[in-house]
Amino acid sequence: MKHAISFILNQEEIQLTVDSHRTLLDVLRDDLGLTGAKQGCDTGECGACSVLLNGVVVNACMVLAPEADGAEILTVEGLADEEELHPLQRSFIDHHGVQCGYCAPGMLIAAKALLNRTSRPHEEEIREALVGNLCRCGAYPDIIKSIQVASRARR
Amino acid sequence: MHTFDYIRLHSLEEVAQHLAQGPGVRLMGGGNVLLLAIRRGEEAPQKVLDVKTIPELRDVRYHHNQGLKLGAAVPLQHLATGLEVRRHYPLLYQTAQKLASPQVRNRATIGGTLAWASPVSELAAPMLCYDTVCYLWSPRGRRDVPLHAFYLGDFRTVLMEDELITHVHLPPPPQRSHGVYLRQTVRHDGRRMIAATAVWAMRKQQNLTRWRIAVLGVDDRPKRIPEAEAALEGNPHPEDIQRALEIVQAHIHPQDVIYARADYRRVVLNALLQQGIHQVIHQLQSMRS
Amino acid sequence: MISRKPHIIGKPFPLIEAQRKLTGRSCYAGDEKPRSGQLYARILFSERPHARFQLHHVEAARSAPGVAALLTGQDLATRLGAQVEDRELLATAEVLYVGQPLAVVAAETPEAAEAALARIQVTYEDLPAVFDIEEALQGRVQVHPHWATYRGTDALQGDPRRNLAHTLRFRRGEPEDAMARAHVVVEHAYTTAPLHHAPLETHGAVAHRRGDQIVMWVHTQAPFLQRAVIARALKLPLNQVRLIGQCVGGSFGGKVHVSIEGLLAAIAREVDRPVRLHLTREEEFSATFITPAMRARIRMAADAQGRLVALQAVYDWNVGASVDLFLHQLESVLLAGTGPYVIPNVSIEVNAIYTHLPPAAPMRGLSLAHVHWAVEQHMDELAERVGMSPVDFRLWNLVKGGDKLFPHFVMHATGLESCAWETTKAIDWHPEAIPTGPNAMTGQGMALGWSPILIMPGCKNRVTIQCDGEDLCTVIVDGMDVGQGYYAFITQLIAFELNIPVEWISVLPTDTDAYEPEWQAVYQNLLWSTGRALLRATQELKRQVLSYVSEMWEEPVTNLDIVEGDIISYATRRRMSFRELLERGSGQGAPLVFRATGEYAASTDGGALDQRLQAFAATGYAAEVTVNMKTGHFVITQLAGAVDVGHALNPEGVRAQLKGGLVQGISTTVLEKMEFEDGRPISTDFMHYPIATTADLPRKLYPVVVEVPQSTGPYGARDVSNHVIIGAAAAIGNAIYRATGVRIRDLPITAQKVYDALQRAEKGQAP
Repeated sequence: MKHAISFILNQEEIQLTVDSHRTLLDVLRDDLGLTGAKQGCDTGECGACSVLLNGVVVNACMVLAPEADGAEILTVEGLADEEELHPLQRSFIDHHGVQCGYCAPGMLIAAKALLNRTSRPHEEEIREALVGNLCRCGAYPDIIKSIQVASRARR
Repeated sequence: MHTFDYIRLHSLEEVAQHLAQGPGVRLMGGGNVLLLAIRRGEEAPQKVLDVKTIPELRDVRYHHNQGLKLGAAVPLQHLATGLEVRRHYPLLYQTAQKLASPQVRNRATIGGTLAWASPVSELAAPMLCYDTVCYLWSPRGRRDVPLHAFYLGDFRTVLMEDELITHVHLPPPPQRSHGVYLRQTVRHDGRRMIAATAVWAMRKQQNLTRWRIAVLGVDDRPKRIPEAEAALEGNPHPEDIQRALEIVQAHIHPQDVIYARADYRRVVLNALLQQGIHQVIHQLQSMRS
Repeated sequence: MISRKPHIIGKPFPLIEAQRKLTGRSCYAGDEKPRSGQLYARILFSERPHARFQLHHVEAARSAPGVAALLTGQDLATRLGAQVEDRELLATAEVLYVGQPLAVVAAETPEAAEAALARIQVTYEDLPAVFDIEEALQGRVQVHPHWATYRGTDALQGDPRRNLAHTLRFRRGEPEDAMARAHVVVEHAYTTAPLHHAPLETHGAVAHRRGDQIVMWVHTQAPFLQRAVIARALKLPLNQVRLIGQCVGGSFGGKVHVSIEGLLAAIAREVDRPVRLHLTREEEFSATFITPAMRARIRMAADAQGRLVALQAVYDWNVGASVDLFLHQLESVLLAGTGPYVIPNVSIEVNAIYTHLPPAAPMRGLSLAHVHWAVEQHMDELAERVGMSPVDFRLWNLVKGGDKLFPHFVMHATGLESCAWETTKAIDWHPEAIPTGPNAMTGQGMALGWSPILIMPGCKNRVTIQCDGEDLCTVIVDGMDVGQGYYAFITQLIAFELNIPVEWISVLPTDTDAYEPEWQAVYQNLLWSTGRALLRATQELKRQVLSYVSEMWEEPVTNLDIVEGDIISYATRRRMSFRELLERGSGQGAPLVFRATGEYAASTDGGALDQRLQAFAATGYAAEVTVNMKTGHFVITQLAGAVDVGHALNPEGVRAQLKGGLVQGISTTVLEKMEFEDGRPISTDFMHYPIATTADLPRKLYPVVVEVPQSTGPYGARDVSNHVIIGAAAAIGNAIYRATGVRIRDLPITAQKVYDALQRAEKGQAP
């Protein structure tokens, strides 16, 4: 079954036709060429494909593409403002919050979701907000630090 | 992946129409379970019906006399953030913080989670303690089933083919109550549960009463142990607690899993329960009368 | 007054790729933009651990809609291997493990490829399979009956009738006699579980035959090694296979050796269109490599003064159906097998044993972590028996600079002792168990460790630097950045050595065509060998630049220098921008190009193991755990880990590696295990192969950098990434013992195992 859908992706309106069974992740990566959200497991276990769907963090591999109709979506590609990096991205660079980097887009999105609802999270809240994002390099301590520093720098 | 038709529904009548067309139709809430099953080839529905778009299933209503009524399509994340949950159902609120991950909580629905009926369903533990009632709906009408009677074991429930959960209802919380949720899992985010328990009670004058004990990971379903609850009624002495623990052990049937033996799950449950009961007693007794 | 810019060595330096990675622009496996005419490859894998098999309806599959090419072992019978060809590219008649490739197809869409493979029916005639090393050694079932005919086996000490793939031995003194006379002898066996590298990025690549060259864009750690293996398997000259390294989303050793890349090259050769392959998570777990389980049997003896007098150790590794990828690890195990202690009488035996499990590949420093899991728990027990503290006993017996450890190797200055002091200090060391709640006991444990920096025979590293007006400074390397900060290290060093701005420097993607075909690049401990090569390249490049300017300015070269991107004369104070010089060209419109290559190879005079041994990285760990004495449930409350890095060129980068290693150390100590059921992997997703999450971090994690310079290393530095994991398991094991009085000798340490041991202790049984 085909669905003509439209949604706001990184502040841009998108219209396209999708099959019922395809996931939001498939559409982002294959149809729209946005490969920032990664395919890590396809079972909703790793968080590498995290995107914001109407302001909350979800695994794009577990969302059907037609479900995105009418939604607002943010991927890592939409995080930076034109040339200016998002404070989270800046902080991840400065505090070694990235090693192999495969988890990084998902981590950033999960962090953004956290900062959307809590402006100055303490360490425990950051840990809880990231339990759905696996990092095989074990960079968690620096990721947590990156988020903490970024949140403090924000007004 | 197997192909199917995704259909967004907007009313219960639409649900009825589709379900009447026979098998090959599956309801979808958050999709966490269904999509995985389809990907693994365990399910091959022709139609996937999205019930999250049915307005009445998104209801959240709280009234101090009537309690909390939650639509089945309300995401679990609401239980971890909702003000009325936090204030009046703290055990549910605290447990909800620990459920899976934010990504999963934002998608998974209350109804979908309960209907999955996993023996390690953490949502069930506080809901059992709060005497939650499920509203089931089918074209034939509505029936109310208490959550403890909802499960049939081994991922089965009382839901009929043409039936779905529309709401859950939590009665108004009594004053001066306290509950704890304790779990032991291999991974500390909750993966690979060995055993878990929620213990709840309230205080009436000097008595601790209406005990609730819910256990997970030690039987084919999340369950309450009313016989053990009864043993704690009043002001339980150490020997009452011991008796309650023994009753629990007599009423559970844990299974071996690859990461834990059944006998070990019993030991863990026993330790968690003992800790939970003591914490509840301590909290309730330290409340001002 | 002209001063040298305060140098950027030892200062914070971010990862080079960080910005691209964090904006989603890095190209990992599966991220490549589809190329025009691109095909999709899929693989059919064996479902039986040991069977004769037949493929039916292959022609039907070949003629299925959208199929461009399909290969089975009947079409292409060839073997794979770096040193020993004990793998088949495609199984021909028998399968030796679940997940062995049977067929590969390239089709217009992934769905068409799947549909074609679905047409193939596989019939198996099951044969007896063996998964346990003890059973394998009995030799009732042979994994490789034709072993002796494989290329490379003549260099091994193996016995195919007993499934023994290779044995290494080291002997010093008279351990048997020394044992007999010793004051205390302790003997135990220690075991570990098979593990998986579990990178978040699954294996993937794109291959395209262009004329007679197969070009591959790969996400692997060792393109040069892979190129050699693929070319030999396909019987092609080396220059007909070209690998270009792309961004790697985690390797940990799992993307060093040829996995799917060989099949992809083979199928791409059949067509003249690009072919893409990207494994699913399930395939990643079930059809790549596993890290082998170990069994160590250790006897160790001390005299009444607490001096170690003898060690007898046998380390057995279950390498599954292939030893090839693990051979190098066996050498490291042999060298490190005593732990970092002086022991006069030693015998060590290291065995690799074939079974019908998937092929083994090393993972980070884990083989050594498993060696130390045994040795360092043993050391604790021995310390107790001779009445010394764990710290004193270790320091008393520690290897020190100047100790002649092997005929060709004298120990260099080492920070082992500092590692012990600094880590124990970090967790506020107290040697006794402390009750910390109802039923809760808290205890601390420590461990030391060492890890050889060993160059593989015939391997080198090379760095080429080119300065020109167009790209300013481009660098060609032969190693890969897998997130450890290799490109950052290269950039940082060149900026320092040439004294030019960091922004001028760009490291090109690693490309096997950049060097002559026979080139074999080192792929681990890269800082060591690349660093040395790099220093030679920068010296030569600087010499070229200054001689050129010397002629131009008619000044002696000794007056000249490059300072902050300018060429200056100390004598005349003349100054010109190096960039301007490059951009201006040589006059007459010809571009000005400076190019220099530096090379580093280990001494190749004699291939003896200890001649290839460069150094030992020293490590130390201290852990604290709180254990529930009724359930065995435990929480790691503190973990400190130290590596003597010689000189921390990028201190925050080093600490980042340390922290990551400690987290991986925790994960592999308490969570991870590849589970098999009759040879079939059941840990095929992150649910069944749990790795650590943020919830599993200890409250306190201390990365400790120790710096005892290595006179032979670049700027006195040693590598870090491989070594950080080495003592985590042992320190945690020792802490559990300290808290509970029971010892866990089988990894992973689980609450249930601690509970069982406590129960046995209560009943007075041997723990």
